[in-house]
Amino acid sequence: MKKSAWGLVDAFFNQYNLVDHHIKSYNDFVNNRIQDIIDITEPIVLEQGEYSVKTGKLEIRKPFTKEADGSKSMVYPTEARLRNLTYSAHMYLDMALIKGDEEQPPEKVYIGELPLMLKSDICHLNGLSERELIAKGEDPQDPGGYFIVNGSERAIVTMEEIAPNKIILERIGEVEDRRARAIVTSIKSGFRARITLEYRKPRKKGVFLRISFPYVPGEIPLVVLLRALGMGTDEEIVTSVSDEKDMQFLLIDDIETSNQAFNIEPKELEEMTLKERRDYFIHKAVKYIGNRVAKGMTEEYRIKRAEDVIDRYLLPHIGVEPEKREEKAIYLAEMTEMLLQVIFEVREPHDKDHYTNKRLRVSGDLMEDLFRVAFTSLTRDMTYQLERSLARGKEPSVKQAVRSDVLTENIKHAIATGNWVGGRAGVSQLLDRTSYMGTLSHLRRVVSPLSRSQPHFEARDLHPTQFGKICPNETPEGPNCGLVKNLALLVKISEGSEPQEIEDLIKKMGVLDSLVEAKS
Amino acid sequence: MKGILKKISQINFGLMSPEDIRKMSVTKIVTPDTYDEDGYPIEAGLMDPRLGVIDPGLKCRTCGSKGGDCQGHFGSINLARPVIHVGFADTIHKTLRSTCRSCGRVLLDNNEIKNYHEKIEKMFKNEESVNNLIKEIYTVARKDKCPHCEEEQEDIKIDKPVSIVEGNYKLTPSEVRERLEKIPDEDSLILGVNPKVARPEWTILTVLPVPPVTVRPSITLETGERSEDDLTHKLVDILRINQRLKENMEAGAPQLIVEDLWELLQYHVTTYFDNEASGVPPARHRSGRPLKTLAQRLKGKEGRFRSNLSGKRVNFSARTVISPDPNLSINEVGVPEIIAKEVTVPVYVTEWNMEEIKKYIQNGPKVHPGANYVIRPDERKIRIYEETKDTVIEKLEPGFIVERHLKDGDIVLFNRQPSLHRMSMMAHEVKVLPYKTFRLNLCVCPPYNADFDGDEMNMHVFQTEESRAEAKSLMRVQEHILSPRFGGPIIGGIHDHISGAYLLTREGSIFREEEIFQMLKHAKVPLPKKTGKNWTGKQLFSLLLPDDLNVVYRAEICRKCDECLKKECKNDSYVVIEDGVLKSGVIDDKAYGAFSGKILDHIVKEYGTDRAREFLDSATKLAIAGIMKKGFTTSTNDEEIPQEARERIEELLDKAESRVERLIEAYKNDELEPLPGRSMEETLEMKIMQVLGEARDKSGEIAEIYFGMENHAVIMAVTGARGSMLNLTQIAACVGQQSVRGGRIKRGYSERTLPHFQKGELGARARGFVHSSYKQGLDPLEFFFHAMGGREGLVDTAIRTAQSGYMQRRLVNALQDLSVNPDRTVRDNRGIIIQTMYGEDGVDPAKSDYGKVVDLDRIIEEIRIKSSK
Repeated sequence: MKKSAWGLVDAFFNQYNLVDHHIKSYNDFVNNRIQDIIDITEPIVLEQGEYSVKTGKLEIRKPFTKEADGSKSMVYPTEARLRNLTYSAHMYLDMALIKGDEEQPPEKVYIGELPLMLKSDICHLNGLSERELIAKGEDPQDPGGYFIVNGSERAIVTMEEIAPNKIILERIGEVEDRRARAIVTSIKSGFRARITLEYRKPRKKGVFLRISFPYVPGEIPLVVLLRALGMGTDEEIVTSVSDEKDMQFLLIDDIETSNQAFNIEPKELEEMTLKERRDYFIHKAVKYIGNRVAKGMTEEYRIKRAEDVIDRYLLPHIGVEPEKREEKAIYLAEMTEMLLQVIFEVREPHDKDHYTNKRLRVSGDLMEDLFRVAFTSLTRDMTYQLERSLARGKEPSVKQAVRSDVLTENIKHAIATGNWVGGRAGVSQLLDRTSYMGTLSHLRRVVSPLSRSQPHFEARDLHPTQFGKICPNETPEGPNCGLVKNLALLVKISEGSEPQEIEDLIKKMGVLDSLVEAKS
Repeated sequence: MKGILKKISQINFGLMSPEDIRKMSVTKIVTPDTYDEDGYPIEAGLMDPRLGVIDPGLKCRTCGSKGGDCQGHFGSINLARPVIHVGFADTIHKTLRSTCRSCGRVLLDNNEIKNYHEKIEKMFKNEESVNNLIKEIYTVARKDKCPHCEEEQEDIKIDKPVSIVEGNYKLTPSEVRERLEKIPDEDSLILGVNPKVARPEWTILTVLPVPPVTVRPSITLETGERSEDDLTHKLVDILRINQRLKENMEAGAPQLIVEDLWELLQYHVTTYFDNEASGVPPARHRSGRPLKTLAQRLKGKEGRFRSNLSGKRVNFSARTVISPDPNLSINEVGVPEIIAKEVTVPVYVTEWNMEEIKKYIQNGPKVHPGANYVIRPDERKIRIYEETKDTVIEKLEPGFIVERHLKDGDIVLFNRQPSLHRMSMMAHEVKVLPYKTFRLNLCVCPPYNADFDGDEMNMHVFQTEESRAEAKSLMRVQEHILSPRFGGPIIGGIHDHISGAYLLTREGSIFREEEIFQMLKHAKVPLPKKTGKNWTGKQLFSLLLPDDLNVVYRAEICRKCDECLKKECKNDSYVVIEDGVLKSGVIDDKAYGAFSGKILDHIVKEYGTDRAREFLDSATKLAIAGIMKKGFTTSTNDEEIPQEARERIEELLDKAESRVERLIEAYKNDELEPLPGRSMEETLEMKIMQVLGEARDKSGEIAEIYFGMENHAVIMAVTGARGSMLNLTQIAACVGQQSVRGGRIKRGYSERTLPHFQKGELGARARGFVHSSYKQGLDPLEFFFHAMGGREGLVDTAIRTAQSGYMQRRLVNALQDLSVNPDRTVRDNRGIIIQTMYGEDGVDPAKSDYGKVVDLDRIIEEIRIKSSK
């Protein structure tokens, strides 16, 4: 590289910190996402609506500690490290108790402590000059971006995972086997649903296309699900999937096979109008799913449960309201077309190691998951406490019902041990302080969730899409080779944006709404 | 410990009857409480002192021995209701299936019974295994009607894991026990249960033996709390439920509750024996972790068998970092003094070695060579201190054992893990040296696969005379010079030994007599008579060869020209040794190198291992002396090629790239001729790889023209010391095509590898051909492709080491009982013949000639040479 090019690198680092991705992500979490989580969480409701608690704004104050003699003092990271404290900030939430119709004035309630990332917006060290940092006992070169919990420095390492809410096609076995699968990992508000659509030759009689999703044991035929989502007629199903004759014939076969299982009386059908027939088929499909979901219950309950399951657990990222069923049906139809294209060898299955299909979950995202679960358990505990005090006849008081320990301990325990919600272990690690370079390298680490004991040859290889993003050289030798990666030098991790914003923008630019198109 | 030697004649596996269990127990366990408030163990509780003690200092109440000595004593729990033992569930199921439900006789008619009885008697006499016969009996003995009492039988199924179901009705363990009691002894013999050691009903437990406290010790945490072992927790559970069951039964509780509690008791006893039994949820600790009960203690890699019995931690062993020492013989190992003073050798004191041993004790434990302990005939071990050593010396008599320090000449076992073949553990002679590392002669690195980048190795000191003798005669390093894998030497010269020998013996290396004598002194070779004249290197080397050695071969540096000029070879690569004199040719890798040493090979086979060791020791030391005299170095100048070479290489590579372009054009226009059996893409790829490979090789040849034998890097590559011409080619001329999984770089963005290229580009550079040499430097894209290829190599190594370990374990487990018998057959421990002759030819591969049974060429040559004299 010529000398002039190095100037560019210097300019980059004058502006950006080496662990910017952690700090920006955490700032976003603290400034925006915590409030969103609190707003979205189901409010506490007691006694069939007699009482309810409304939540307002969250305030986070800078870290301080109460000494044994009662005096308050600001806690700086050095002191936290030496005295084995947790460098955390107190959170105060505006909560108002609503009794019947009257709303009591909102009060600021202390709900717990949130461990603080060093050099983030709410940290004391944010924006201090070199001299001021030295005055506080901090190394001015220290990059920050880690937490101090119980006196030990813990870094939350970035997790690399397959992109959620995206259709991933893969082939099972050889090309000749004619088996393939389409997977969508649908994530909404922390709830992970894995929807699998598979094409394979059934052992005995049966359909070729099957789909499975959470809370429904086993697999159900795709055509049944499409029916249940509102595509009553055969024509709707077949045309929404594809225009290719071969694919349409496949679907027609499946419809035939599944209709046989329905035990339909042809005479009944002849008497109905088109609309009645549609509704009849939809009803039958919903009943089929109901049988799977809640066996042995009353028919009314079964239908309700089936509809509930379809709305909440099938493709939740599209939406959980009944109005979204049509959109979900079109989505599934698209999935089917892509899958059939793989079977007919028109389309290549997705490369799971291509970086387009991967997302990095930085510390802010992981803290978000953790906070969501901790806050939910706090609300549950509050409900219990309020109910108990009601049962005793005392007036429920929000301040007394809140046990701040629940939230604090939950978050602290997860960061201290590394055992995260969702079963992952090793998410938070003791910061490597072997040398300055060791610390920087640890903070810029990217870990893959694949198991270390399996070979996973293709996942360990250096993939060309990692050019410029992941370092080609830095990876450990031994069982972790290629699964533990490090970010390249000039990498900036962008934050996700709201899909609604982008949808509005492209609609403004003239892209037609698929739903509207389908209807016309 | 002294004692009478007994020979084990038989091991019988049987069951304990409830009477046996009660007899061997020292106390009945009733309460689930372990300790009382003061911290004392409760009587008739689980930690009863009669069961044994773990605290040093307390005395055991039953046997009176102190803390460390008491092995513990069993207790017993009387179960309120019988419970099925989960390990025998299958056996019980099969037995019930094969016997009648009312009369208890086996479901075979009398003839069959007599038949089987005879067969079993015969098999017992022949010492054959009856397992297959029993299996057959179980499949046959299933009839719908009992042949003895005409009772109808119903289907008996087993509900995982321990409930027996007959038809629709679930049998309680008591009922099962009753049925098993009805089975007479002769019938139980047919069912595979030897009535002398076991009765079928004993598989249902009525008394549960409680293991002693030593089997499930408690740990005291640093907070002062006592944490109980998992087994104790489980026994507490069993006791509690047992108590509740008894109370409920006595108080006359409804049937349902009694059955429920019985089920729960069965569950607890099942998980007590095996917590990972299928069909049963594992019992968990409060923290959520599953308990480790009896079966888990035995199973798996960390279980009793694999981790405490087949392999154990041993005393008298040592482990440190290794470092090289060319001045040791290959048989020797350099042991740090600290280690030598810690690991000792036991020596019996006799009247003939009294004086010597007294000297050791006089030195004391701190001065080497000294002694650490004296063991009297009454087995008391006395530690030797500075102050007490005089008294000890006075009292010393023949018959004592003295544990003295390790000294020079002792035999020890030296080992590096992973121990994949038998040469990973060899016997060495000790040489005690200062400082803290084990020292190893370099020639012996290949069998251990050791390098000196921080490797550690283990040393074990033999404690008995027999083992020492066995090691000295069978396991010494010199015995393993030839490898049983391919019949050639695996111990030999490496790296500098070979380039040194080349420098010594090539044409034009002439030394003054005093230089020669300096080198010989360094090599510890007995000095010859002075001649007053200059010596050639070849004459020098001939001093090491035995006097009647005759070998002829082509050296490693041979260019393999079409017409071999033999003795007139320009490269001096035709080696001729006549009567122990090196007449022509240079000494390099083919002479005494680690994997292909011909001279070494012949010396081992014709003169024995002692002579081979001497030869190897002196030849390597001489080569080092030679290279120190001549001087040897390398630098990047060694890979420098002149401008015109650069230009020629550029030209060549450009031509190759344009040829590749033409191939791609032809492919795109469908003009490409496919190779037989391959598709168009495959043909294109193969042809391109061929063109680019040739280009790299040819550019290497161009560079080679400008390398002479004065170039040290070339010397190392050509003599086989280190590196190859490919390395030099990549540094000087062109690195070449990178490959991932056998082909050019394919994966990446859609239809192209990197976004720097157009979609659909198939050219050389776009698919990983690195144009530049290492010396010129790679451009960023070439660097990335090179990293891709390199990563595949690292991943491969990492995966391979894990899988090779598993493969080796399976092979060893399968082969370890096989041995060659005096009748030349290969049999296993049962006596079954595996091979009628070892390897089908009866040849020990270590003694064979690179796999050939007989080296005919050599024999013919010897005869020729002998007859020409």
